[in-house]
Amino acid sequence: MGGKTDVWQGTLALMVLKTLETMGPQHGYGIARRIEQTSGDRITLNYGTLYPALMKLEQDGAIVGEWGLSEKNRKAKFYALTKTGRKQIAAAEREWAETNDILAKFLAPERP
Amino acid sequence: MSSPRWLRRLAATLGLRATDREIDQEFASHLDEEIDDLVRRGHSSAEARRLALIRAGGLEAAKERVRDSRGIGWIESLWRDVRYGVRFLRRSPGFSAAAVLSLALGIGANTAIFAIVDNLLLRPLPVANAQQLAQLTSEGDRPNFTNPMWEQWRERTDLTAGLAAFSMNDFNLAETGRTDRVRGLWVSGGFFDVLGVRPILGRGIAATDDRRGGGPDGAVVVLNEQFWRSRFHGDPSVIGRRLTMDHVPFTIVGITPASFFGPAVGSRFDVAVPISAEALIRGKQSSLDRRSSWWLRVFARLKPGQTVGQLTAAMAVEHSRVRSATIPTDWNPEDLGDYMETAGHAIAAPDGGRSYVRGQYRDALVAVMVVVAFVLLIACVNIANLLLARADARTHELSVRLALGATRGRLIRQLLVESLVLSAAGGGLALVFAQWSSQLLVTQFSTFADRIDMDLSVDWRVAAFTAAVAAVVTMVFGLAPALRATRVQPTDALRERGRSERGHARWGVGSALVVLQVALCLALVVAAGLFGRTFTTLAARPLGFDSEHVLHVNMAMPSNDARENAARVERYERARVAVAAVSGVRSAALSVLTPFSNFQWSTRLEKRPNESLTDEQRDVWVNAVGPGWFATVGTTPLSGRDVEPARSSTGPKEVVVNETMARRFFSGRSPIGQVVHEMGNPGVPADDLTIVGVVKDALYDSLRDDAPATMYFQVERGGLPATEMVLNIRLGPEPGANLQANIAAAISTSAPELSFEFRPMAEQVAARLVRERMVAMLSGFFGVLALALAGLGLYGVVSYGASRRQVEIGIRLALGAKPGSVVWLVGGRVAWLIGGGILLGGIVSWWAARFASALLFGLKATDPFTFVMAGVVLMLVGVVAAVVPAWRASKTDAASVLRQS
Repeated sequence: MGGKTDVWQGTLALMVLKTLETMGPQHGYGIARRIEQTSGDRITLNYGTLYPALMKLEQDGAIVGEWGLSEKNRKAKFYALTKTGRKQIAAAEREWAETNDILAKFLAPERP
Repeated sequence: MSSPRWLRRLAATLGLRATDREIDQEFASHLDEEIDDLVRRGHSSAEARRLALIRAGGLEAAKERVRDSRGIGWIESLWRDVRYGVRFLRRSPGFSAAAVLSLALGIGANTAIFAIVDNLLLRPLPVANAQQLAQLTSEGDRPNFTNPMWEQWRERTDLTAGLAAFSMNDFNLAETGRTDRVRGLWVSGGFFDVLGVRPILGRGIAATDDRRGGGPDGAVVVLNEQFWRSRFHGDPSVIGRRLTMDHVPFTIVGITPASFFGPAVGSRFDVAVPISAEALIRGKQSSLDRRSSWWLRVFARLKPGQTVGQLTAAMAVEHSRVRSATIPTDWNPEDLGDYMETAGHAIAAPDGGRSYVRGQYRDALVAVMVVVAFVLLIACVNIANLLLARADARTHELSVRLALGATRGRLIRQLLVESLVLSAAGGGLALVFAQWSSQLLVTQFSTFADRIDMDLSVDWRVAAFTAAVAAVVTMVFGLAPALRATRVQPTDALRERGRSERGHARWGVGSALVVLQVALCLALVVAAGLFGRTFTTLAARPLGFDSEHVLHVNMAMPSNDARENAARVERYERARVAVAAVSGVRSAALSVLTPFSNFQWSTRLEKRPNESLTDEQRDVWVNAVGPGWFATVGTTPLSGRDVEPARSSTGPKEVVVNETMARRFFSGRSPIGQVVHEMGNPGVPADDLTIVGVVKDALYDSLRDDAPATMYFQVERGGLPATEMVLNIRLGPEPGANLQANIAAAISTSAPELSFEFRPMAEQVAARLVRERMVAMLSGFFGVLALALAGLGLYGVVSYGASRRQVEIGIRLALGAKPGSVVWLVGGRVAWLIGGGILLGGIVSWWAARFASALLFGLKATDPFTFVMAGVVLMLVGVVAAVVPAWRASKTDAASVLRQS
């Protein structure tokens, strides 16, 4: 575990899905870079964290992997979002908003 | 739950998991991309590599985590379902055993019969491009050709891509003594090439081998691999060695693969020799130049694009040329019209075309196939009933699981997997059962006279058939209860068990199933009755002889033996005298034929003055017998005397006739001393045949036909070449263990040049009933099985109905109802169901029975007695199955029932 924030698996999955939604199909390195950049380098993803998450998502049918060529003409496995994946994002977003809403009421209660 | 290692391996081999190599590749490309990026940002390549590796973390540990994270998804949960299903089935062993056994029997019987049907009726001949094969007929549908005709057709190589002729024949490997019989083929030159069968050693029969007098290698023989392995232990040096068959030495030139069993479905060949070699073996009796000896069958290989229609057309053009070149010289002129007129044709024959075995057993097999299909249906209905009852019993469990959050799909899958486990168990057991029973069946079919050979190893088609049947059964009868069971509301779980209203729907479906089952069952019982009575009628037919204590010895002389007929008969007579002296032998007599030997000998008598019989009515069946033959086989003499040994080979011939012949030709007057004549060849005067005796009718060659008009010549004067003769031996009351050995010794010492084999007469007659016995046995067995299944089904439905109405019954009893009225209350409904089932089954069988007419004897397909009896039997079974639970219901303790509810 590095000194920076360790990523919780469920959250990571959502990050991966969201990344694929905005960027389109990406290979593993691309996904990792994007997540690290978006987090302002507060997250570091080593292989042992990223790839099990990708494998899990692929098996759940949220993403599909397919071998292709990267910009540098290198063989790489590209992951793309599936219909199931999109649904998962929508559901997660709803849940997040709700959780957020509830928590907000506790953390910053409105005063009458 | 972690999945077992074998399951992981299975998943890996199925490609369900990414391979480790793929992970390596993915990691490598990730690393390279990162290094590239770092280099672009100004790091040296060594430094970039170091940084990238640091960021990657431990690679091996990462791989391990990836491996761990990829569970095997649905396979794993399926495995869980299977284990759960097995556990559940183990918890109700009675139900499981009943279900698995009925499935195993139903599917197994179907698979067994299908394996035989497949072998005999469906599968293509094991030759190259079987779809190009056609069988030729010589005239109309007649599949046989004479050799002169075949030699004419053989010339026309331009008509087809190849022609091949064959005939089946048994050969004797033994020089003398007991016959060592092998199954052989006469084949045309190039036969194996035309069929596309490649020898595994040496060569096939070449065109040059099939020449009169032999080819460059003399008389040659090709062995079947199976025979080669069993007889010569697969020794490759047999090529070039000699094999003596019927006293003629042949040179072994090749071995053909065991996969090619021969050109006729149901028979296997051991050796194949050129057609031309027939003259070497049969000598003067050779059929090679006989224009009325129809013994060859012909296959053609179609040219690419050629159809059987085109070949038929091409044959029609050739017809008259072939026919005029082969006109039989010894026929009466009036019979020649047909010979010239009717042309033959080509039939597509990828499956080998007509085969004797196939013709013999097709109807019987189809009937049995229908019977076992019914058994499968009944088994399915039974299982449906069992599953329904169980789904009902599980409503509570299922609604609890629904309430706990299981999805409907998940529950349906669970139930489906359970029935899949059930049918997999049934199917697996069925394969074992099928393997065993089809072998048993084929052994039953085979008699010493007709050996039937089939390759009944479970092949993929049989396996696929079983799997398909099992799958359909599971889907149909597993899914329906599954859907119904999961329609329960979770709230049902909160109510008390067994109180939901859905029970009546189940009662309805159950009733329908009972009616169906009774109907199917009745059809099977009717079939069992019809076939059983056919068999017993045939088996009990008076034969006109007593086959019980008679032993036949078929004796043969080398057929190229140059002796005159009289000299040959003298050898047989010598053997007869020697055998008659063996202790335990009561009498011995010679005959040319024996009843039910599969050989028929007939002749047409000349019209006598003032006689009004038609040509066909003047046809009589013939045998030639020695003195004492009638007493030996047990045919009763009526008047006149027995045949006497011929005193010379010329002069008047004596004959004995049977009752039917005496009645037909002499209508009541005594035929003794009368003279008849055979229709001779044009210009040849016929011998006088003086009738010296009349005997009782005896069946000749068929149990289904009445005794034909029969005439018995003196054995020396029958006019046939005496290359073979049968010694009929009547055994004493206590034959003794070594009798056959003693008889064999007596023959070998008195006439050492003879070869011989034993055939009990009773077996010869029984062989004629093989088909009927098989059909009767099977339909009887399955009829009983169906009755048992139906009884169980009825029992289940009645007790279920009774338990549902327990409260009502309790109240009625409490209010003073008599137990008898309760029995009727519970059983009355079932009586209606049984009645409905019998009616439905009766109508169906009435309609279906007509297709079995050809197999029946002595009764009509709609025999009222059989139908009524079947109905009565079912009624009885129904009463027994219904009365027990109904009676139990009437014993209900009203107070305790009412207290419970």
